[in-house]
Amino acid sequence: MDDRRQRFEAQALPHLDAAYNLARWLSRSPADADDIVQDAMLRAFRAFDGFRGGDAKAWILTIVRNCWRSAGAASKRRGHTSLDENLAADDDPEGTAIQAGTRRRLDVLVAGLPEEFREVLILREMEDLSYREIAEITGTPIGTVMSRLARARAILRETAKDCL
Amino acid sequence: MSCQESLRTQSYLDGELQGVEAGVAERHLESCVECQALAAQTADLSDALRKTARYRAPERLRARLAAQLDRETARKPARTFWYGAASGTGLTALAAGFALFLTLPPSAASLAQSVSDAHARALTSGKMIMVASSNHHTVKPWLAEHAGISPPVTDFADAGFTLTGGRLDEVAGSRAAVSVYRHGNHQLDLFAWIDRGAPLPAPGIHRGFRTRFWKSGDMDFAAVSDVDAAAFEKFVSLAQRQRE
Repeated sequence: MDDRRQRFEAQALPHLDAAYNLARWLSRSPADADDIVQDAMLRAFRAFDGFRGGDAKAWILTIVRNCWRSAGAASKRRGHTSLDENLAADDDPEGTAIQAGTRRRLDVLVAGLPEEFREVLILREMEDLSYREIAEITGTPIGTVMSRLARARAILRETAKDCL
Repeated sequence: MSCQESLRTQSYLDGELQGVEAGVAERHLESCVECQALAAQTADLSDALRKTARYRAPERLRARLAAQLDRETARKPARTFWYGAASGTGLTALAAGFALFLTLPPSAASLAQSVSDAHARALTSGKMIMVASSNHHTVKPWLAEHAGISPPVTDFADAGFTLTGGRLDEVAGSRAAVSVYRHGNHQLDLFAWIDRGAPLPAPGIHRGFRTRFWKSGDMDFAAVSDVDAAAFEKFVSLAQRQRE
């Protein structure tokens, strides 16, 4: 295997779960998430020579988000798939100890958040990224990240009361 | 939420504030009932999300990706200058140089690189854990037998870091004993190896993983993970305080 590929696998692939999780929550569809992540990883591999160390996770997630946005523009032209159909998917989230009903309800509530709130919530709560990293990935000022995160949490505190 | 300090409280809870700023937020939180309720509910929400919601890349995607990278790699065969150089008479000199390099203690930069690589390799290979146990009486002797070193091993489950097992690994050419912990969806590696007098790297982020190095007794330690800054600090201070 060539050296570039080995370096790519060592640096980028550990963040494949993070890439998939973000794509899955943005697109709300396992099939679309597969396509987005595959596209993102190919772009990352081609651009890898330009990546000079630093934070590989944030770099990969930025590319995933860009791929989602260009795919989103394409799927708006194609027409949407329904949320219910997407949630009846074959890929289960981690964590099986929780009652399926509660999990599903919280999933639906998170999936129902407006996109700009959903993405900051996913990046903070599931990927443990700092405000600065989230600001870089989403291309928004830190103040906006803070207020969107507060808003996303406020909505869920209200709607998900009985799941918490 | 009408308290005007609620955004600052949120930043404090997310581990984003340091020093004076953190002190201001902490004092406010002590007296503001509204922010106390915010803190409790936000923690409940975080717990619920961490327990339920993170998706993992499915096997079908990993397979598709590997096939795609194969095609991509095959498109332009990489026959570089170094390939030619190493195949000829330069090889002996190169090997001699490499042997010399191996006997020197590793530099700080290569140590940071090396533990991040080892952590990444373990995550991708599925060989994170060679002995699975949450009992330090099992993990410690296993590490002593297989890695030839016996660092302290403590379960910090009470503080949110559950000992899940141990692993034999390598850090810049030295054999290392690794205790593996879990925090929510995230893995933490605690490396230990015999101190060879090498300078240790400053705290940093390498390849998306936080790293922290310290010396204790005749051993060097490194903590590596992609958990958030606040959790990482907490883990490091627990690990630094543990005793034989």
